[in-house]
Amino acid sequence: MNSHERPEAGHHVGRYMGVTMREVEELHLVGHAAVAPHLRGPAGGVRTGALLTMLDNVGGLTGGLAALPDGWVVSTNLAARVVALSHVGPLRIDSGLLRRGRNNVVTSVQIRDEGTRGALVASGVLTSAILVPENGPPQWSRPLVLEPLFDATPDLPPIPEWLGVRPVGDRSVEIDLAAELRNPWGILHGGVVATLVDLAAEHATGGGWTTDVVLHFLAPNRVGPVRASARVLGRRTDGHVLRVEVRDEGAARTTALAIVTCATSA
Amino acid sequence: MTAVYPPDHHLLRDLRFSFDHDADARRSRAWMPVVPELCTDLGHARAGALATLVDVIGGGLAASAAAPGWIATADLTLHLVGAARPGSVVEARAEVLRAGRTTVVIEVALVDEHERNIGTATMSFSVLPRRETNPEVDRVRDSPSTMATASSRLDRPLLDELGVRVRDAARGVIDVPVTDWSRNSMGAMQGGVVATVAEVAAETALRAATNEQLVVADLQVTYLGFGRVGPVRTAVDVLGSGAGHGSARVELVDAGAESRQMTVVHAVATRALT
Repeated sequence: MNSHERPEAGHHVGRYMGVTMREVEELHLVGHAAVAPHLRGPAGGVRTGALLTMLDNVGGLTGGLAALPDGWVVSTNLAARVVALSHVGPLRIDSGLLRRGRNNVVTSVQIRDEGTRGALVASGVLTSAILVPENGPPQWSRPLVLEPLFDATPDLPPIPEWLGVRPVGDRSVEIDLAAELRNPWGILHGGVVATLVDLAAEHATGGGWTTDVVLHFLAPNRVGPVRASARVLGRRTDGHVLRVEVRDEGAARTTALAIVTCATSA
Repeated sequence: MTAVYPPDHHLLRDLRFSFDHDADARRSRAWMPVVPELCTDLGHARAGALATLVDVIGGGLAASAAAPGWIATADLTLHLVGAARPGSVVEARAEVLRAGRTTVVIEVALVDEHERNIGTATMSFSVLPRRETNPEVDRVRDSPSTMATASSRLDRPLLDELGVRVRDAARGVIDVPVTDWSRNSMGAMQGGVVATVAEVAAETALRAATNEQLVVADLQVTYLGFGRVGPVRTAVDVLGSGAGHGSARVELVDAGAESRQMTVVHAVATRALT
C-alpha cells in the first residue's frame, strides 16, 4: 500500500480491482469486491494475484491508519494462503491490526466469499514499514469510507492482457512498466508485483494455480521492463514449491522475492 | 536471565549447530546434524527444528548486517520440499537480500550433504537502536564455530525436552512452559522454539481434522510479542484440507502474562516428505 493521493493518477490498479472500503470500527477495515470476469484465473475463481492485491489494498490502508499521525506505510512483505479456488462473490476483505511497532505495522487480512455464506477464501498477514512522506502523512476523514474512484467499467480486459504480460522462455514472464500500473509514488504497484509472481508460477508449472505466497518487497520497480522468473524447488502432495525472483531489468536489480506453492491438479 | 548466553544446558548447544560467517557480513553457513530426537513420527526432521536452525543463522547474519543497530525478528517463513533423515547433516546457507535503514531481509537455502534441496526460508527483521543489553555483533561474529560442548546432546525427543502438553487435539490447544533451556538472549521463548510449538499445534489439529498422518511442511511465522512467563498456549483454526494436505492458522499467547498475543502462524501440512 503506497497510495494516499487522489484521484486518478496512480489509482488505475484500484479501479481495475474495484475494491470499496469502510472502517467499521477503529482500525478495522472491511472491503468488498465483485467476482468480476476480468479478475478470474485458471481455477475459475478470482486469480490469486488479484486476491493478493485486495489483501494489500485493505491491509495496507489499515496499516497506514495505524501509523498516523507519525507517518504512512509501504508494504514490505505479504504472506497469504488461498483455501478456496472458486468464488461466487461478492468478496469481503476484513483487515485488523495485529501490531503497531516503532517502525512497522502488522495487519491480518481474511477474504471471505459472501456468496457462499462467508466461506474463507484466503488468510494472510501484511507487514508494512512506517515512513514519513515528503509532504507529511495524509489526512483522512474518520471513520474512513472509500467508494470506487471511477464509474464501473464493464468491459475490462483479463489480467494478463491488462498487464501486457509476455512469456520469456519456459519459466519467466515480463511486463513493461506502463503508467497505469504505477502507484501514486510512481513505482510499480505492489499488487501488480504479486500478480506477476502469480503469473510466473502459473507459466513455469504449465498452468498451475497459486495457493500460497510469501512475498518480500526488496526495492521499488521504477524503470522496467519487470521480469518474474520462477524456479521449481520441489514437489509435494499439495503442489510445486517455487522460488520466484522479480527484477527491474531496466535498473538491473532484484526487487522482490517470493516463495510460491502452485497446485497442478484439482 | 543468565549471565552467559546460552547457559551450559541449552537448546542451542544440544542441537549441535556449527557456524561459518563470511567476513563481509553478507553470507553465513550453519550445519545441524539430524538425530532421531529431532524427527517426526514419519522419520524426518521436524519443521520446527529446521526453523530453529534458520532462526539462529538468520538472526546472527541480520545482526551483523544491521550493525551498529540491533534487530528484532519480524517474521520467519519456511517451506520444506525434501526429507532430512537421521544421520544426515542439514546445511543452511544464509544470504542478505536487503539491508536497509529500517529492515533486513535474509534468505536461507537448506540442503543436505549430497546437495539435495531440503527447503528454503526467509526472515525479515526490524532495525532498532542499540541498547546496552544487546550482545556485541563482533562477539557474535567471532564466536566459536559451535556452541555445543562435549556433553551437549538431546537425551529425549525434542517435544519431550520442551515439555509439550496436548490439552485439546481437535482445537490444537497445547501448553509449553518457558524454561531456561529454551529461552533466547532476551529471556523469552526462543524464536525457533515458538515455530516448533506452532508446528506441533498445527500438526495435532490437522491430523485430528483429516485422519491423515500429515506433517508440517510450511510455516509462516509472524512475531508480535515475547513469551516470557509461560506456559505458551496455542489455538488452531483449520483453514482447509484436501487429499494429502491441509492448512491452519495458529495463534500463540503467553498464558502466564494475561494471555498476551505472541505470534500468528500459517502452517501447511502434507504427507511425508521424500
